Amino acid sequence: MVNQVRIAIENAELGYRGASSETGVLSEVNLELREGEFVAAVGLNGAGKSTLLKTLCGILAPLKGRVLIHNKNILEFSALEIAKTIAIVLSGKIEGFNLSCFDLVAAGQMPYTNSFHQLKDEHLRKIEEALMQTELGPHRHKSLHELSDGLFQKALIAKALAQQSPVMLLDEPSAYLDYASKHRLFALLKELAEKQGKCILVSTHDLDLVQRYCRKVIVLANGTCEMLRIEETANNPGFRQIGGKFL
Amino acid sequence: MKRTYLIIFALLVLLFFAACLCSLFFGGSSALDTGTESGRFILYQIRIPKTLTAILSGASLSTAGLLLQVLFRNPLAGPYALGISSGASLMVALCMLALQGSALAVLSFAGRSVLILAALTGSVLVTTLLLLVSKRVNSSILLLLVGLMIAQICGALLGTMEYFADPSNLKAFVIWGLGSLSGTSTSDLPVFGTLVCLLLLSLLALLKPLNALLLGDDYAQNLGFHTPRIRFMIILVSSGLTGICTAFCGPIAFVGISIPILSRLVFKTSRQEIHLLASALMGSSLLLIADAVTHHVVQGSTLPVNVITTLIGAPLVLYTLFRTKQW
Repeated sequence: MVNQVRIAIENAELGYRGASSETGVLSEVNLELREGEFVAAVGLNGAGKSTLLKTLCGILAPLKGRVLIHNKNILEFSALEIAKTIAIVLSGKIEGFNLSCFDLVAAGQMPYTNSFHQLKDEHLRKIEEALMQTELGPHRHKSLHELSDGLFQKALIAKALAQQSPVMLLDEPSAYLDYASKHRLFALLKELAEKQGKCILVSTHDLDLVQRYCRKVIVLANGTCEMLRIEETANNPGFRQIGGKFL
Repeated sequence: MKRTYLIIFALLVLLFFAACLCSLFFGGSSALDTGTESGRFILYQIRIPKTLTAILSGASLSTAGLLLQVLFRNPLAGPYALGISSGASLMVALCMLALQGSALAVLSFAGRSVLILAALTGSVLVTTLLLLVSKRVNSSILLLLVGLMIAQICGALLGTMEYFADPSNLKAFVIWGLGSLSGTSTSDLPVFGTLVCLLLLSLLALLKPLNALLLGDDYAQNLGFHTPRIRFMIILVSSGLTGICTAFCGPIAFVGISIPILSRLVFKTSRQEIHLLASALMGSSLLLIADAVTHHVVQGSTLPVNVITTLIGAPLVLYTLFRTKQW
């Protein structure tokens, strides 16, 4: 059976629009992400991993070309429709304002609650589900600054799960994690892709984890990117360049 | 959980009414005697307008502070600390100076409208400037320093204007510049009250986006909100509240920054609707009490209300600064 196409970029140039100038980061981008896939985006610092992720979820507009969701241009979707389709997990901490682990996960339900973000039974059920899947139940009442880096990352993933979106984009979720937590994180993401049919894209520097858990890799090198199957990475010059002589 | 909040809210409402009575009956140098003609005059023409002014400005400044803290995602943001009140004051002072000797009296309705517009312009300008700065440097300390510098610059310009001000207007000018609750007359109150109530009501539409903004701009966008539009709305409402309040009372210190901090210490929740309500109640109460206190510290004279609000607010700000991990 052919997987349904979830999200794609066609002939795009990605980068940032300043007031008067454009800064291109990636050009000739052609990608396609499908249901049930766990894909990693790898590249040196500054190669454009975050740019790619932010473009895919509509926060950044491509300089040229277009982003498609279900064969429809992303520009035709409202912010709310995108929220229900794509959930993001960004790098960096969220702190303060008495935010608890539960509050963060509950925010994932915002696209579905009324205009006062009133949590009714059906919303609470989804939040509980997300907390269960990420084994965060015992930590729900902890405030965010009390969570370890690993648990915080899981809380962000739980937020993305509570968002009930088929696509999840994660920006360097394994940064700052200890060795065991990194493996647990990747195993969890792989399971979500395989068992729930989520389409998951992570950017990461952990090439060994990528080779172990992902079937496909997007290699960002030399101002462009290409999608490879994991078997093809061994002989790929871009991937070898990212790994240096250590791979 | 919910029940403790209800109890605390009930206590806050009690405190608020107690503070109202306190301001009405002890908010002057002499005891109030409603039995006499002059006592009734004092009550209706001086005390009640002042009490209402304290309620309105306390509520608007503390909710403005809360909005700014969410907007900048910084517990140390506030209309006074960031120089927004100063920007508004400077514009008002400019207008006062321009209106001096012109046909348009400062206290007339048209004159007041011009002053309110000027204050709004000043506060929107400063907030927008700060937002541009905060996009470039993401540091609480730097943002505060920039705010402090803006306040200093406005202060210096204000001082210069005072130097050149017409001597007959100088005293009113200086008193207004120190922040005062007694400058509003009965004729100002309907305008003041309507504007503040409208702005506070418009917050109902911003509750959910405010809660989403706690996670950051990008997350809010990804949760289905048009972030630039929301930021614009928050700037407009918070500057509006600050500007209007400054037009009537001058710059009032530390209410906007300390009350939301206090609210987060009392209510351990991230729900901004609770903090908005609590801030409005606590802000009004604080100003009412501060106003009553000003009359009784030094026998026979009245301290500026900012002395009291600063003495209460500044330690809270310091406290937050030193435990930034947990705000």
